[in-house]
Amino acid sequence: MGRLRQKGKAGAAKAYVTRSSAVKRLQCSLADFRRLCILKGIFPREPRSKKRANKGSSAPTTFYYAKDIAFLAHEPVLKKLREHKAFAKKLSRALGRGEWSDAKSLEENRPVYRLDHIIKERYPSFIDALRDIDDALCMISLFATLPSNPRIPPSLIENCSRLSAEWQLYTMRSKSLRKAFLSIKGIYYQAEVMDQTVTWLVPYQFTQNIPTDVDVRVMLTFLELYQTLLGFVFFKLYTDAGLVYPPPLDMKKYDGGAGVGAFSLQEIVQNGGASARPSLKVVDVDGRKVSTKDVRQTIKSMTTGGSGIEGVDVNMPSPEGEAQEADEDFIPHVSASDTLSASSLQTLKSLEALPQSSTPSLFAPYTFFLSRETSRPIFEFLVRSFGGRIGWESSCGDGSPFSSSDDSITHVIIDRPVVERTDETPEERQRRLRRKYVQPQWVVDCINAGNILLEEPYAQGKTLPPHLSPFGEYEGAYNPAVGIGAQEVAEEESEVEDHIEVDDAEESPEERSDKRALEAVAAAAAEDGSALRAAELAAEVAGVDPGAFDKEVEKSRKKMKTTNDTDDESDMNKMMMSNRQKKLYEKMKYGEQKKALERSTLETKKKRIEKEKRKQSKP
Amino acid sequence: MTATEEHRRKRKQPVKDDATDGVFHKAVDMVMHSDEEGGSIASDTDDAVDEFPGIDVHSDTDEDDSDFEDDDEADEAEEVLQSSDEDNHIFPKAKTIISDITGQPKRVYPEIEPEYDSDSSTEDAPNRVGNVPMHWYDDLPHVGYDIDGKKVLRPARGDELDKFLLTVEDLSSWTSAFDKNTQMDKPLTTEELDIIRRLHANEVPDAEYDPYEPMTEWFTGKGKEEIMPLSAAPEPKRRWIPSKWEKQKVMKIVRAIRQGRIVPSKPKATAQQQFYPIWSEASTSHAPPLPAPKPKLPTNSESYNPPEEYLPTEAERKDWESMDFEDRERDYLPQKYSALRLVPGYDRFIKERFNRQLDLYLAPRVQRVKLNIDPQSLIPKLPSPSSLRPFPIYKSLTFLHNDSLARCLSVSPDGAWVISGDDNGVVCLWEVTVGREVKRWKFSSKVGAVEWCPRTDVSYFVVGIEETIHFVIPPNLSPSVYNLTYKLLAPATLPSPPDVPSAVKWTTAPSSSWSINLPILTVQLPQTSGLPKQLVWHRRGDYIASVSSGSNLGGVWIHQVTRRHSQAPFKKIRGSVQLVLFHPLKPHFFVATQQYIRIYNLSEQLLLKTLVPGIKWISSMDVHPSGDHVIIGGYDRKLCWFDLELSDKPYKVLRYHTRAIRSLHFHPAYPLFASASDDGTIQIFHARVYNDLMTDPLIVPLKILRGHQVKDGLGALQVKWCNHHPWLLSGGADGAINMWCS
Repeated sequence: MGRLRQKGKAGAAKAYVTRSSAVKRLQCSLADFRRLCILKGIFPREPRSKKRANKGSSAPTTFYYAKDIAFLAHEPVLKKLREHKAFAKKLSRALGRGEWSDAKSLEENRPVYRLDHIIKERYPSFIDALRDIDDALCMISLFATLPSNPRIPPSLIENCSRLSAEWQLYTMRSKSLRKAFLSIKGIYYQAEVMDQTVTWLVPYQFTQNIPTDVDVRVMLTFLELYQTLLGFVFFKLYTDAGLVYPPPLDMKKYDGGAGVGAFSLQEIVQNGGASARPSLKVVDVDGRKVSTKDVRQTIKSMTTGGSGIEGVDVNMPSPEGEAQEADEDFIPHVSASDTLSASSLQTLKSLEALPQSSTPSLFAPYTFFLSRETSRPIFEFLVRSFGGRIGWESSCGDGSPFSSSDDSITHVIIDRPVVERTDETPEERQRRLRRKYVQPQWVVDCINAGNILLEEPYAQGKTLPPHLSPFGEYEGAYNPAVGIGAQEVAEEESEVEDHIEVDDAEESPEERSDKRALEAVAAAAAEDGSALRAAELAAEVAGVDPGAFDKEVEKSRKKMKTTNDTDDESDMNKMMMSNRQKKLYEKMKYGEQKKALERSTLETKKKRIEKEKRKQSKP
Repeated sequence: MTATEEHRRKRKQPVKDDATDGVFHKAVDMVMHSDEEGGSIASDTDDAVDEFPGIDVHSDTDEDDSDFEDDDEADEAEEVLQSSDEDNHIFPKAKTIISDITGQPKRVYPEIEPEYDSDSSTEDAPNRVGNVPMHWYDDLPHVGYDIDGKKVLRPARGDELDKFLLTVEDLSSWTSAFDKNTQMDKPLTTEELDIIRRLHANEVPDAEYDPYEPMTEWFTGKGKEEIMPLSAAPEPKRRWIPSKWEKQKVMKIVRAIRQGRIVPSKPKATAQQQFYPIWSEASTSHAPPLPAPKPKLPTNSESYNPPEEYLPTEAERKDWESMDFEDRERDYLPQKYSALRLVPGYDRFIKERFNRQLDLYLAPRVQRVKLNIDPQSLIPKLPSPSSLRPFPIYKSLTFLHNDSLARCLSVSPDGAWVISGDDNGVVCLWEVTVGREVKRWKFSSKVGAVEWCPRTDVSYFVVGIEETIHFVIPPNLSPSVYNLTYKLLAPATLPSPPDVPSAVKWTTAPSSSWSINLPILTVQLPQTSGLPKQLVWHRRGDYIASVSSGSNLGGVWIHQVTRRHSQAPFKKIRGSVQLVLFHPLKPHFFVATQQYIRIYNLSEQLLLKTLVPGIKWISSMDVHPSGDHVIIGGYDRKLCWFDLELSDKPYKVLRYHTRAIRSLHFHPAYPLFASASDDGTIQIFHARVYNDLMTDPLIVPLKILRGHQVKDGLGALQVKWCNHHPWLLSGGADGAINMWCS
C-alpha cells in the first residue's frame, strides 16, 4: 500500500483556483485582477468536476488554472499596478496637504506600464498577432467615432482614428481587401493579409452613446492592449512593405477633414551612411532622435518642437543621436531601421508576405465621384482599395483629386431619388448622359461578385436588388439567389388551377393534401425529403399534364411508404444504440431539423411573396 | 409722521398697557390671562386708529385682532427694549380731583409702592427664571416666572410673513436678536454691535484690548543680560563649516546632470508608444496560447437590404421582442431599407462589442471536437428485417376472455392447442389454427399460471390457482396417449410416500367420480403460500417447479410427478424469489430474486454464479435453448442480455419499451425472441447465437406488434411461441389472446 493521499493535494483541487483565492494570492484588487486578465489573455476554465475543483463545495464560482495565476504573479505589469497604488496614495496625500510642488513631481514620475512584452508573449509569431486583430480593429474603428468625455480623452480618440486610418491605408496600398458587406450593424470588411483573413466591422458614421450597462473600464483596458498590438502589427506590415511607420500626417489636410488622405505613405529611404552603421536598433520611427546627452538639446528640441513630431522618447539611449542631427530638419521621417529592415525585405518570407500584384484591380479603369449624401470614408476606402480613382465634393472634406466637372468621371455614386431638372444647360446634360449614376450598393456588390456588374439595376432611383452576405451561410442553408424561381411558383399555381377546372372537386383537395403531406415530409426529414422534392421538381419541370401528375403523386406516395418503412427500420435500429450515441444522435437530429425548418419557412415565405407579386401584377 | 412711525406708536400702546398691567397687575389680572382680550382691549383703547390716514395698506389688509396680535408679538422685543427709554415719559396718570379741604382742584398721583414701582423692577426683564435651558418651557404656555412668582406668559410669535414685514418696516430689526429668556427679539446694544463688527473684521473682540502694547522687559534688555553662559563647551565646527556629505550628494547630482543621466525639467513621459520590430527575434519555444474563437460572420438576414423573405412577420417580431436578450437566437431583427442613406446607426453596437469582450475575458473556453458526421451513421448497421424472415408480422386471430385479463397461456408441445387462463378462474382450451374453443374449465379462484407438459408421449397440463396446482387432461386425445397420461397421473399403485412427511399433499381424484371436467391430480401447497405465479417444467417433463407469491420462504417448490414428491430446494434464500427456470441442458437452476439472478447446480447443490443485471425489479426471464444466454426483463423497462460464458454483467442492455416489460420468451427452434410490455406492444427480435466463442450474439429488432389495449396500466401480459412455427401468442390485459403469424 502506498502512502495515504491527502484530500486536496493533487488533481483538480490543485490545478484550479477560484477567482477570490486568485485575487488573494496576487494581493491586488479585483479591478486590477480583471485588468491583468484582460491584458494577459487569461480566462476562466471549466473544470470537469466543479465539486472536486472547489474542494467539495458545489457553490457556483469561476475557476482559473493555478498555473495561469502563478504566471500572473510574475507579471511586471502587476508590479507596476502596485506601484501605481502607492503613487495614488502619495499623490492624494500631497494634494490633501496642499504640497503642490511635491504633487507635481510625483505626477511627473507616475508609474507607467508597457505592454510590449505581453504582446510578444501572447503572440510569439507575427501570424498569431495578425490572426487576432479582428476584435482590435472593430474596437479601434468604434472608438474613432466616439465623442470624447471625461472617461475617454480626445487623445485616445485621435490615436484610434489614426490607427484605423493607418490600417485603411495599408489595406488600400496592398490591395488586400476582399469582401465588404453593408449590414444593419455597420459595414463588414474582409481583407486577406498574409493569407490570414481579417474581418472587421465599422459602425456607420453616427454618434454612439455609451449605454449605462457597459463598463467603460473594461473597454478601455481592452483598447489599451489593442492599441499596442495594432501599433506593432502595423509597424511590421509597413516596414515589410517598405514604408515608413507611422505614416506622416499632414495636419492642414487633417484639419480640413481629408481623413485617410491626410496621411502620406513614404518609402523607406536608404542612405549609405545609415546602412554602414552597425546599428541593431530599429526603433527610430520619427527619425528625429533627441540625444539625451545634455539638457540643452532637449530645450532646443522643445523649442523646435512645433515643426517636429511629438512623441519623442528622450530617455531612449541612442548612440546615433548626433549623426541624425543633420537631416533632422528636412526629413523628419527617415527610418533608422535600415540594415535590418533592408535585409528583411530581401528575404523570401517577406516577399511572400508582400501583397500580390495580381490582386484584382477591379475599378482601375474607372473614375468615381461621390455625391455628397454618400459616406465618403466608406466609399473612398472601397474604391481606392480596388484601384479606382475617386473624387468628392469639397463639402465632404478636403483632398479631392478632381472636381465634379471633371471629364474623366465615369461613375457617380449617388443615393437620392431622381429629380427632373428643368434648368439644365446642354453641357451639363451631356455630362450627365456620359456618366453612369449608380447607387452605393453597386460598388459593394461588384466587389463581392469580383467583376463589374451591370449598372442598370442599380441606377439612381431604382429599387435595388437584395444585398446578400458575401460570407455565405452554413451548408444547406436557404439560398435566396437560387431559391425557388418565379417559374416554379407560376407552374404550381397553374397546376392547381388546372385541377380545379378539369377534375371534379373531390380530387383536387386530395391532391393538394398529398402535396402538403409531401411538403411536410420534406420539412421533417431533411435528407430523404430533399431527394423527394428534387424528384418532384424534376417531374414537374419535365412538362406535366394532370394525369401524369397523378401518377407522379402516386409514385411519390409509394416512395413515401418505402421511406416510412426505412424510417421504421432505422427507428428500430436506434434501439441498439448506446445511451450516449442516442443522445448525440438526437442532438444532431435536432440541429438538422431546426435548419430544415428555417429553410422551409424561408421558402414558404418566398413563395407567398412571389404569389402576391404575381397577383398584383396580373390585374 | 410716516406709516412706520405710526405703526410703532400703535404698537407702543399695548406696551403701555403691559406696563400698567405690571403696575396694577392685580386689577387687570383677568385681562392678562387671555391674550386676545388684552389685544382687543389694546385696540379698543387705541385711539391711534382714528389718527390713521386713509391709506394704510397694512391695516387695511389685516384689520382683525389676531393679525394685530401677531404684529404685536413680532414687535415685542423692540417694545421691551424701548420700554426702558420710555419709562421716563410714562408717569402714572394724574387725576384731577376737587380737594376736600381746599375745594380747589388738585392733581393726585397714584401711590407709589416702593417695592413694585421702583425703577429697577420695571427695568429688569420680567422673567426671573435665571440661566436655565429655555426648552424646559417649550410645551408650557409660559416662559418663566416674574419676581412675584407669577407666570410670565409666552409672547405670541408671528409667522414668517410678519417677520418679513417687520424687517421691511422696522429699521432696527436687522440689529436685533432673539432673546431666549423673554422669547422675543431684542435690539442689540451699540456695544454688542461693536463686538459683532470686530469679530467680523477679524479683530480682537474686546475694544479695550490693545495687542500692540509695548513689551515690558522683565528678564532681558538693558542691564539685565546674563553674564555666565549655560554651557562651557566650545562651539562645534559644524556650526560654521559647510557639510561635506551634503556637498558629495550635490556633486553626485551635478555629475549626473552633466553626464545626462538626470535631465532637469524632463519632458513628460512619452505619451506615444514606441514601436519596433518585436517579432524580429526568435520567439520562445512555448506554444502560443489558443486564439480566441472568432465571432460568427454575418448572414444574409443582417443585410441592410435583405431579400424580402428574411423579414420577420408580425408574429415573429412580437415573439422576438417578448423574449429576453439571452434567449434570442439573433440579437437583431432583420430590416430592409430602400437606400443606404436611410440606414440608421445601430444602437446596440457598443453593447455588442462589450459583450464580445466579456466573452473574451470572462467566459470559460472549452475546446470541442466538432463531429462532422452524418447522424445516420451513428445508427448501427444491422441486417434488414426482411432478410431475417420468417417472423410474425400480423395478427391472424383473436381469442377473447370476456371481462377479465388473460394472464397466462401455454401452447401444447405439438403446437396445435392453446390453453389460456384468466383472472376469473376460467381456463380455455382452443385450437391454434382456427381459434375455436374446445373445452372450458372453471376454477375457484384466479389462475396464476398454466403450463403444458413438454412430454410428447403424454398430454396434460398444469394449472396453478390459489395454493393449489391442478393436473388436467385435455379431451379428444388418442386412446393410447390418454391411457398413458391417465396411468401417469393416476397410477394404480401409488409410489411409496417419502420418509419425511412433506408439507405438500398430492391427491388423485378417485376414478369413480373423476370426469374430464375435473383435474385428475391436485397438489396442495402449504397454507399461506398464495398463488403460484409461475410454473416451469423441466425439459424431461417429470419435474415441475412452482413459485408462489405468498409467503417469503416457502415460495419455491420442485415437484416430481412420477414419484409424487415435492421438495423445497432452498432452506433459506436472500430476497424474494420472482422467477425460476431450469437450464435446458444441464442440471442448473436459475433463480431470479428482485435484483439478482443466481444459478445453482442442483445435482451438486452449489451456487454457480450470480448475475447482476442492474435492474431495479426483475419481472421476466428466459433462457436461450442453447442454455448459454439469458434475457432478463424488468419493471424499469430494461432488457438485459447475458452471455453466461462472458460475464456476470449484461452483454447488452436495451431500453425500448415505454412501460414495464412483462414477459419474455425465446423461440425453441427459430432464432427469435419476443418481449411483451405494459405499453401494449410486443417486440420481436432476431437473436442469433454463434457457436464459436469469438462472435458476439447478433440482436436485430424486427417488428413491433401493436394490438393490445392498455387497461388499468396493464398491456400485454404474456407471450409464448408455437413450437414448430414462427407464430406468437400473446395474452393481454384487455382479455384478448392474439395470434401473430408470419
